[in-house]
Amino acid sequence: MPAERAGYTVTMFLIDVSRSMGTVRTVDREDPDGSAREIEMTNLAYALQYVKLKIQEMIFNGRKTDQCGVILFGSEDTRNIVNAANGGYENVYEYIPIGQPNAGTIAKIDALEPSTTTGDPIDALIVGVETQARYLANKKTWTRKIAIITDGESPIEVEDWEATVAKMDSLSISLIIVGVDFDDEFLDYTEEGKSNIKAANETFYRTLTSSMADGRGVVGNCEYALQDVSRPEVKQVRSTLMATVLRIGDVNARPGEAIELSIKTSKCTALVRPKSWKKFALRESNKDKMDVDEEEEAELSGKIAYASLKMKTDCYINLNAIKEDEDGDIEMKKEYDDESLLDPQPDQGDKPKTDTLERVEKEELVRGFKYGTTYAPCPDGQFPKLPTRKGIDICGFFPQENFRRELAMGEIQYIWADPSSPQQQVALSSIVKAMQGGFEICDEKTKEKKETRSLLAIARWVTKDGMDPKMGILWPNSFDNVDCLLWCPMPFADDVRKYTFASLDRLVNKKGEVLTEHPYLPTDEQMEAMDSLVDAMDLMDAGEKDEEGNRLPWFSTPEAFNPAVHRIKQAMFHCAVFNDITSNPVPPPHPDLLVFFEPPKRAVKRAKKALQECKDIFKVKEVPKRVGKAKKDGHAHAQDEDDNLLLLDRKQPLDKTQSQMSIVEDSSISSPNKSKQPLADDGSETEEEDEELLLDKNTTMSEHRKDGPLPTPARSVSPHVDPGRAPGRIIGNAYPLKDFRKNIAQGDVVTKAVEDLSAVILEIVMKPFASRRKDEMLECMGVLRQTCLEEDEIDAWNSFVHEIKGKCLSKPGNPSFWEAVKQAGRELSLIGKQEARKQGGDSVVTENGADETS
Amino acid sequence: MPPYDDWNNIDEEEDEELQDPSVYETKKDVILFCIDCSDSMLKPYDDPQYEDVQTCHLFTALEAAMQIQKKKIIVGPNDSVGILLFNTTRKSETSRSQGSEIKRNTFLFQPIGPLSAPKVQEVIQLLDAAREDPDELRKTFPPLTHGRVPMGDVFTSCNWVLRDGAPKTASKRVFLITDEDNPHPSTSSKQLITSARTTLIDLTQAGVTVEPFFISTEDKPFDVSKFYSSVLLPTNLEDEDELQQDSSILPESISISRIEDLLSQMRFHEVPKRALFSVPFELANGFKIGIKGYGLVTEQKKGSYKYFVDLGDRMEVATVKTTYVDEDRQAEVDKTKIVYGCDQGAGGTEEDEDGEEAAGGAGARLVKPGSRPFFTTEEIRSFRTLGLEPGIKLLGFKPRSELAFEDNIKHSQFIYPDEMSFSGSKRTFSALLRSMLKKDKIAIVLAMTRRNSTPIFCALLPQDENVDDSGWTEPAGFHLIPLPFADEIRSAPIQEGFRASDEMRDAARKWIDKMTVKNGTYPPDSYPNPALAYHNAQLEASAFREQYDPDSFEDLTEPKYESMHKRAGSFMKKWKDDLANDNSANLVVATTGSKRKADVSVDEAEIKSKYDSDQLSKLRVDQLKEFLKAKGQSVSGKKADLVQRVSEWFDAH
Repeated sequence: MPAERAGYTVTMFLIDVSRSMGTVRTVDREDPDGSAREIEMTNLAYALQYVKLKIQEMIFNGRKTDQCGVILFGSEDTRNIVNAANGGYENVYEYIPIGQPNAGTIAKIDALEPSTTTGDPIDALIVGVETQARYLANKKTWTRKIAIITDGESPIEVEDWEATVAKMDSLSISLIIVGVDFDDEFLDYTEEGKSNIKAANETFYRTLTSSMADGRGVVGNCEYALQDVSRPEVKQVRSTLMATVLRIGDVNARPGEAIELSIKTSKCTALVRPKSWKKFALRESNKDKMDVDEEEEAELSGKIAYASLKMKTDCYINLNAIKEDEDGDIEMKKEYDDESLLDPQPDQGDKPKTDTLERVEKEELVRGFKYGTTYAPCPDGQFPKLPTRKGIDICGFFPQENFRRELAMGEIQYIWADPSSPQQQVALSSIVKAMQGGFEICDEKTKEKKETRSLLAIARWVTKDGMDPKMGILWPNSFDNVDCLLWCPMPFADDVRKYTFASLDRLVNKKGEVLTEHPYLPTDEQMEAMDSLVDAMDLMDAGEKDEEGNRLPWFSTPEAFNPAVHRIKQAMFHCAVFNDITSNPVPPPHPDLLVFFEPPKRAVKRAKKALQECKDIFKVKEVPKRVGKAKKDGHAHAQDEDDNLLLLDRKQPLDKTQSQMSIVEDSSISSPNKSKQPLADDGSETEEEDEELLLDKNTTMSEHRKDGPLPTPARSVSPHVDPGRAPGRIIGNAYPLKDFRKNIAQGDVVTKAVEDLSAVILEIVMKPFASRRKDEMLECMGVLRQTCLEEDEIDAWNSFVHEIKGKCLSKPGNPSFWEAVKQAGRELSLIGKQEARKQGGDSVVTENGADETS
Repeated sequence: MPPYDDWNNIDEEEDEELQDPSVYETKKDVILFCIDCSDSMLKPYDDPQYEDVQTCHLFTALEAAMQIQKKKIIVGPNDSVGILLFNTTRKSETSRSQGSEIKRNTFLFQPIGPLSAPKVQEVIQLLDAAREDPDELRKTFPPLTHGRVPMGDVFTSCNWVLRDGAPKTASKRVFLITDEDNPHPSTSSKQLITSARTTLIDLTQAGVTVEPFFISTEDKPFDVSKFYSSVLLPTNLEDEDELQQDSSILPESISISRIEDLLSQMRFHEVPKRALFSVPFELANGFKIGIKGYGLVTEQKKGSYKYFVDLGDRMEVATVKTTYVDEDRQAEVDKTKIVYGCDQGAGGTEEDEDGEEAAGGAGARLVKPGSRPFFTTEEIRSFRTLGLEPGIKLLGFKPRSELAFEDNIKHSQFIYPDEMSFSGSKRTFSALLRSMLKKDKIAIVLAMTRRNSTPIFCALLPQDENVDDSGWTEPAGFHLIPLPFADEIRSAPIQEGFRASDEMRDAARKWIDKMTVKNGTYPPDSYPNPALAYHNAQLEASAFREQYDPDSFEDLTEPKYESMHKRAGSFMKKWKDDLANDNSANLVVATTGSKRKADVSVDEAEIKSKYDSDQLSKLRVDQLKEFLKAKGQSVSGKKADLVQRVSEWFDAH
């Protein structure tokens, strides 16, 4: 039998719709969360799932040559070609003629109901064979498949079935009997209380199928067939061989020396993406609309319609922005540019500026490129291309051990010698073998024998005359009976980005000394713990056992399915087969997809001790921050903290209250050596000392702060209005609590927000008429304390309390505010050790100390 | 950015791959070149490249700035650049669009603004003039003869210039170029240092990064500790990476180089470093560290063309808007109302004659009221991600040798620890890296780097820190190499072939050895993308309104034929002769195909003789086709075309 081609197949589904198929059964269904529930359906509906999934697969693959037809037996009516010609063959109904299926086919199958009579499957089989044969009269090479879906409860006329088998064998038809509740050895299932007629029928089906040639007959349980259909399967793609040439040297100028081989290339790896979704939308019933016919039609059938959507693109030009531009307001235009770049669909609503978008016809537009703000016309859409010649040119060779794996850019291709030319095959083979090395070769001059190294070639590939060249390397590869090269594309100079990163091992302090101990550097002890974890998590013996009982490696690329591809396929099939996914949600992913989602149990078990040691010794701690992405909410641009900050900075005079602490505090808090800093532990340190400790590495800054502002030039200019927010601050004086909450919600600026709110509270409290905002400030402090407690900013809170106490009680102070704080008691007190522990943090203040101070 | 026709089809749910490069392009970058213009920078010396030409540090610095501008304009056409000079007495003209006067003895040569052809040309013209007349630069920018501008003033000027010119969302950087390691040697230096530091902090808080490029010469080596180490900030608000830097450590991005290397040093910093993702790395259950991922290798494509509207006086880019419509109704559908399903299938609409079931117009699906046969955006996202949250999960370790060459499908990414999300990440990461390097292991991980991406299996390849000849330091970290899935691996279509004898192999090895760079590797830097360069050169010419001369283009990726033939030519000839005498020359492959392919195998010599005697048309079409196929030529067209093509082939060979 020739290898099966994809497509070129007609499948006949012979569906039993006899009365017995109306029997209601309970089916276990698994919900996405893995929980099981039972639902009731008829045997027919249950068995039709198989048909629908099979047909959906044809729709999914979208091949014109993958066709099917549906014939019913046990139907009330009779309509089939054999009956029309010869009579007989009652209760067999050709329901869907052979053709490429679509969603309508599935809808029709959905409409099937059990009848009140019975039908003979062998009649249907003969009709099916005949219908198929007639359709494929002049398409002899097509693959023929027949599936009978039945519960086996109807009587079968077991006569002359051998003739039918002979007929099917002569047409190379493969037959599958999908039986509801048939006994199945794969499932290890035997039906209890099976009727005699069904038992006899099952036996008959087995005899029938087993007497077919080449094992083309199969009987299966419906449940098993359904499982089989939903199992992920790799779609085999046979790569086409593309002809090209391999050149070494200048074929034109020195044909005597230059080498040209005729070769074929084919893909070795090829990226597979999940199939894309089609878009639909519910049609709103709207009687005023013109499509009354359709509405009525839909209403008559008592159904709602989901319409398929088509994509439409239009070009617009923003005239408003241009006008503003002409007025000389460059800023406005820039902003528009910004937004159109970031978000092609400018969110209306939160923008006070009204954009007058005017549609322009594509034909009126000129193509060109942007060279900065300059327009470079290019009506063809591209400049003349670099003239190139098809083929692969070898540029040179280098030792294999110098290959940098991480530079490999993309899909691998095979390079074969021309399969029709033995000479070309030998030629390529000699190059492959020569590159592989590992043999001895005699040096021309010294006559000494030397061992050869493995080499790789650098090559330049042009797939078609005039196409852009690609650079890559050629890797010699030997299969059992053939040699070939493997091509891997490599980056051009333009494709490599060189970013600088701080060295992980070499830390230099300001004096230029190399540090050997630092929280960033692992200690010997830590190295040891990591080494044993790496050893324990070895995968080479963590897999299944082979026949001889040896452990195999765990994970290999040919075993790993692309989970997204198969999951999306499953979901697509599901929604095509079921008409309501709310009551019938997609079952959980097939377990085969998830086998490599967790490390193997064997390794995990082995690593238990090493892991615990690593956890204890590395003391990794999550820095609280990043609550989701705040960007998604439509107001993204306007509320972006970054934007505000920068915008205000630009318009703001710098003043003395500017919080320059942020950088230093950030670094000291985030750095892991925080815990090692000798912070005061009795809670009675003065504010300044506290600060000193936090800033110990940066005396210039704290000096500057204490001495008051230096006469920096920036202060002299202040032409702008005060927005309430000091430069560099993310918390304003006007609505501190609101600003604070917003920033905390955003997540990644907690430290800065805490610090700024502290500064703001201090400022407001020390201002005249502070009593007017006393309650507000107390509320701020409450929120601040809570945040500090939860976000591990306990030290910041404690030093803030010291600071506010100091300020309030000094002159000119605000003693009444301090009284109010004290009255609040524990709600605004220092955070003590115990309280901190509860939140997983630590404090240098004892619980008693916390009580006392406030 | 994808080419034009693709960006129509971008689909938020499916543009995983497309997001990659666009990360670099959606955020604007602003660079202010801040160049010292003092006497020493203007001191002429002989140009090392050209004879009888004098050059100076300032010239080189401006030239480098111009080169960066040229590159930027193509890579990021929306980026902005400005040039500020200090230690010059030249006064700024009446503050153009400048909101405030900048400090004395600093001069804004080019205010921050979007890149454009005239702007680049302005610098080119200045440089050309300076080539003609070595004193040109000194005349244009008279140096400050007594003393120097306080560095604090320089930083303040930078701040103001950026404040007035840079878009708010951009990443902003100052490229500081100077050869003076001790600008304030006098007694009052302490205060000047403090002021420099303070103003630099202001600058940093405004979101500006200062990237110093210090010029060091033999006569005047640059000593950072004299002044700059106490001024330069180890921290940087814009890039949170640097926030984690312990203040005892020097900033990473100081580059001190010889003037000749200035441009290449700047190239390293040309693109602002931006992380592609920042996710937790789970080494085991309950053991997570923070990492960030960077794209060190990404295909750089040509910019996409745009549609322009001719407004008479100038050209304006048209915005393209995509909407989804219900074609039967001609109604636009609100994005939030879109649901997703699979293709309805194309075939067999004609057979809907009894179509009461399939009614509802093309492509519509009818269901009972209250039912929903399609998925929402949220649901389809969960199918993509399989319910995973972004992150990288360690599955285990394998020997380095298990990472096969052919297990490649996409470019790699680079990961580096992020102390900001998990404290202790750096030491843990370092320990893992060292351990894996020591044991020569790779790790297998499950990675989902973004919220909208699909989970993939990757190999983590440890990378040790390495300093190469050019002074570039290969950073330490892990390369994240995506592995192909079973679905993505294709089997070999050819199972057997004739193989070479040891003699043939040895003959091949001889010429191969002659073409081998003994300690070489694949050098990406030696191969600029010729198609891209060719395109960009034409784009530049078009923007400068110059005629482009295609002959001036040099393709560096072409093989070096001269030296190949010189070194290996004789061995190649020997190998060819051996091949001609090899047994295989007489073998014919048994055709395994079907009967119809009876006798198409024609000897090349026979065809050649027909060609020579001008009797190609005597051959049958299938014979001609077979020959052309073997030569990798097209087999389309009529017989006359085939004959034509065969004779063309012989003409060429």
